Amino acid sequence: MAQEKRNIEINSRADTLDLMHPDIRPWPVTPPPDPEWVMANVYAKRKAEEFGKWCEDNLRYEYSFGKPEALQGFKFLCIGQWRLANKFVSALLCEAGAEVINIEPPGGDPLRQLTPFGREEYMLESKITGEKCGLDFLHEMRGQKSVTLNLESEEGRAIYRTMAGQMDGIIDEMPPGYMDSLGLGYRHLSKLNKGLVYLNMAVRGTWGPYKDKMSKYGQWTLEPFGGCANSFVHNTGFPQDQLPRGKGGDPTRSGVWFADYVAGEQGANTLLAALYWRDQFSGEGQFCEVTGAETQMDILDFDIAWYGFNGSIKARTGGWDPNLNQYEWNPCRDGYMMIGGQTDRLWYRIGMCIERDFPQFGRLIHEDPILKEMGARNALAMLIKTYTVTTRWLRDINRIEAEQKLLQYEVAAGPVLFIDEVAEFPQFKYRPWVSTIDSDHYGTVMFSASPNSFQMRTPHRVKVLGRPLGFDTYEIMQKYCGVGQSRVNELKEKGVI
Amino acid sequence: MCDIIWCKKDVGGKPCDTVNYLDPYCFWNWKGNINCAECGAVYFIHMINGHMYKGPEDRPGEKPDTSPLYADKPLDGYKFITMGTEGRTRPFQCLPRHIYLGVPDMVKFSIRGKPLRGWRPQAPSAGIAGQFPFNWNIKKLAPEVWAEYQEKIAKGEVKDW
Amino acid sequence: MNDKKEWRTKYKNLIESPLEEQYGPKSKQELDEMKMPYEDFCKAVFAPGHEMGKPEALKGTRFMSTTMYIFTPHSCANLAELGAEVYKFEMPRMGDPMKHTSPFNEAYLYPLHDTRPMTGTGYGFTSANINEYYVSIDYHIEAMKEPFYRIVKMSDGLVECYRPGTFDRWKQSYRYLAEMNPRFIYVWGGGFGYGPKVFGGSYDILGQAHAGLASVTGMHEFMGGHCAKHSNWCIDWYSGTQITFGVLAAMHWRRKTGLGTMIEFSQVQAATRVLGHAAPLYGRFGIVRQRWGNWDTQLCVHGIILCGKSDYPDAINPQDKFEARYAMVSAFQDADFKALCEVIKKPDMYSKYIKHKDRVGAEAQVDIYATLEDWAKDKSRAEVVRILQNEGLLAEPVMNDREVYENPHYRTRGTLRWMDDPLFGDVLVQGTYSAGLMSKTPRRQVWIWRPVGADNVKFYHELLGYPISQVKEWYDKAWI
Ligand SMILES: [Zn+2]
Ligand SMILES: [Zn+2]
Repeated sequence: MAQEKRNIEINSRADTLDLMHPDIRPWPVTPPPDPEWVMANVYAKRKAEEFGKWCEDNLRYEYSFGKPEALQGFKFLCIGQWRLANKFVSALLCEAGAEVINIEPPGGDPLRQLTPFGREEYMLESKITGEKCGLDFLHEMRGQKSVTLNLESEEGRAIYRTMAGQMDGIIDEMPPGYMDSLGLGYRHLSKLNKGLVYLNMAVRGTWGPYKDKMSKYGQWTLEPFGGCANSFVHNTGFPQDQLPRGKGGDPTRSGVWFADYVAGEQGANTLLAALYWRDQFSGEGQFCEVTGAETQMDILDFDIAWYGFNGSIKARTGGWDPNLNQYEWNPCRDGYMMIGGQTDRLWYRIGMCIERDFPQFGRLIHEDPILKEMGARNALAMLIKTYTVTTRWLRDINRIEAEQKLLQYEVAAGPVLFIDEVAEFPQFKYRPWVSTIDSDHYGTVMFSASPNSFQMRTPHRVKVLGRPLGFDTYEIMQKYCGVGQSRVNELKEKGVI
Repeated sequence: MCDIIWCKKDVGGKPCDTVNYLDPYCFWNWKGNINCAECGAVYFIHMINGHMYKGPEDRPGEKPDTSPLYADKPLDGYKFITMGTEGRTRPFQCLPRHIYLGVPDMVKFSIRGKPLRGWRPQAPSAGIAGQFPFNWNIKKLAPEVWAEYQEKIAKGEVKDW
Repeated sequence: MNDKKEWRTKYKNLIESPLEEQYGPKSKQELDEMKMPYEDFCKAVFAPGHEMGKPEALKGTRFMSTTMYIFTPHSCANLAELGAEVYKFEMPRMGDPMKHTSPFNEAYLYPLHDTRPMTGTGYGFTSANINEYYVSIDYHIEAMKEPFYRIVKMSDGLVECYRPGTFDRWKQSYRYLAEMNPRFIYVWGGGFGYGPKVFGGSYDILGQAHAGLASVTGMHEFMGGHCAKHSNWCIDWYSGTQITFGVLAAMHWRRKTGLGTMIEFSQVQAATRVLGHAAPLYGRFGIVRQRWGNWDTQLCVHGIILCGKSDYPDAINPQDKFEARYAMVSAFQDADFKALCEVIKKPDMYSKYIKHKDRVGAEAQVDIYATLEDWAKDKSRAEVVRILQNEGLLAEPVMNDREVYENPHYRTRGTLRWMDDPLFGDVLVQGTYSAGLMSKTPRRQVWIWRPVGADNVKFYHELLGYPISQVKEWYDKAWI
């Protein structure tokens, strides 16, 4: 197939898009190493053949589809818009085998429409319904079912109540108090369903003095407002001492809606812990709230605690970590190279590696008495000195050269990779960490696999990506509400569904 | 030369022998005059992707556009000139406090004035096999801090937040 | 929302702050839970500060944390915060290498151990091992196998982070332990797992770099920037939390089947998981997602702008003095964008970019944010935020650690609080409670961490039943 020649006329960028289609440009471009090669060249070199074989036989991704699912039988409703946090909770639950029904207004979750730089050509069209869907939504709407429901109508609320009575949990990421104001909050539904675990999600909270706001015109608070409210943004990015302010030397947000993901995983943990307590001990559900600003604050190392220690306010340090040396990335010939190793053992190995090409490193770094003490190496002045001389070495070599040289010394080092490089990196292909699904609606789609996929007994897995709006309405209405198709059609006309 | 400038200028009959560190992000692409942190000699440099495209060239009589953050003298016991030494190195602005230590800060009280075990040395207090209790007997182990704490309470310096 | 107008009237009270005005006067009947204002109801059921009278979700669960650094420890800390009894195992006298990490070498607690009174424990170690009991053990010693196996038989699971094959060589990998305890949930967490790079070491920063997260974070080249590291070891923490998810799911399955599992979890992979549309965009169209600084590739206006003046020009702390200049501004919907253009007196900018599709394009974003920063260049951050908020728009300051500390929101919610730590005294707690509120089985923090081997007697003697003479002997030989 790849050999076949074709004449193609290119008049605009749009004409090139199809040329990148997976049917024409299959992934991976080069095949991953096969298990025999890995056995002979990786495990055998460390005399770990037996252990390696055990891992490959018991944990391989490909076998996950033949194993049981941990959360089989658990059912959840998810109602939320615009944000990735509720989507990520639902994605995690589905990957572990639960059933999640995603409730959207008849117009759909606006997140479906988001696409980089507004380019509709980057949305995927359902082969069945013809509807277009943005890739963020599609990627996180994994395994979930889509049902439309207008909760502003009395019939819609009645249907919602009926479903809620049969659920183990509800994930609610509507604005503060909205569901409660409709009579569909925890205090209402828990009367119908004693075992219901109700999870509120928000950027900063649904209650409290700095809870989520809505603009006068109805616009929601979205990430990175969370990261701005917990010091993450303030603490990330390059200092004005390294790059001019306004030209790179500024506080910087994460490139992704990171706090949404952090809230999503803690939300999922909160649900599972509450359900464990229900099933193991009490039979009772409860009310929970997880926010992006706070769950991310939980993982901001010690930053706020440090203020309580001596009034320090964390400052940004760009590609360098302020707590360890070496532990950073710096520019090299073709990008950025990350090097890490703080303990004496690793510190001197890094140095020996660099010294081989650049003998002055030993004189300037290893022999400096301050740099001989592990703690003292972390002083800012020592980072400046160490990384200047390290970069003097890096500027002459490519990422791959640097990686190979450092790996010879068993130093944890890696290049900053872009997604095309990630997708072709041998370990990523071998496992695989990015993979493709051949799907009914969207054809072949590449996605990031679940990190909990590699298990002996109950591996998590992704089977379905994305869903056209309301695709499961008839099934769910019949199955959970006893509402037949004729009635569904009536309700659709009335704008209830 | 590269992204260090090893200054060999003659200073009173002896070479300056100071290494000026040109930190990687600031100087990765940079053009202008920079001074030696020790002798003040001014050099012109033009760096592109970390390489010294031009320089360091002597620019006697010219003013520096910037200074290194850090410089030291490896041949003279690694004597160093750290950030913010006036007229010699440039200050580092983006710091967590107005004080930069680079060594452990001995802290006896949290910012709200209650005792915090952030100083050394501490009196030994482990029991059998490294065992520690679930209380810090500060009165016995650090009586002077306990006394200072009582004073703070009396002066109203201990706060809730 | 469909009937926006109607919905807003009905819901008016929640759109606008301040709190006191949101709900009518409080009467006796309002004590009735169903009639209570939502805000009060939340405060009452979550009852921050009253966690201790309530049960723990994971009561009776016992876990072993044979971990180091942040990533794998956090997976166990999550369990300990939910009420599991967790034992942290460390090398005798040395302990977790994370103890050597301290910001600029300035912040330490003492002691690490009585045998090293001058070496503190850096703040880097602070919150990854909350509430745990600290045990020392040298796995290399053959005689220590027996206590290790004893605790395995008495526990629900273990998380470890050693180089693949190491625990297997020491006969304490899953294939050995599952025979002693088939209910055992065994997690290996590390960089890569089985495959060609199985023996590659990893850290948070390697995950950020290698997995593609760094490639999409930071200012774009045309903005003058480089790939920026997420502050903190966020990929370590975040990946650890996902291990906890795997463990909790496995515990649910074990309730039905009585069987445990082994999870092999790669932190590098977990970093790729947050890249959202990066993989499908590349897979289908060959487009490589790039970094886009403080703006958003999918929404505009939705970004952080630089204001002309700091809010605290006279402050002593440089973070207050120089950095209180950034504001997050969000007005991507048509009406919001229109109002924004009017506030900054650029109505022509609205007519130029009437549809969201017009303003979210790359060139449009460059133009729009430059215009916004031009408007903000003679204003302080507080002025910018106030002007926009007064017009009903969404704008907030980019807050620093002090401002977070002083924000009443987290105090009200109990997600930031002081604790009297049993060994270290007055510590500020930013974690645990902030990981999620639960009305009936709330998370709680009882101590930050304990010195190496601090609970050796409790563990070897009180739990496993070895005589004190034995414990002392092992300690003197440095086996524990
Ligand atoms: Zn945590
Ligand atoms: Zn000189």
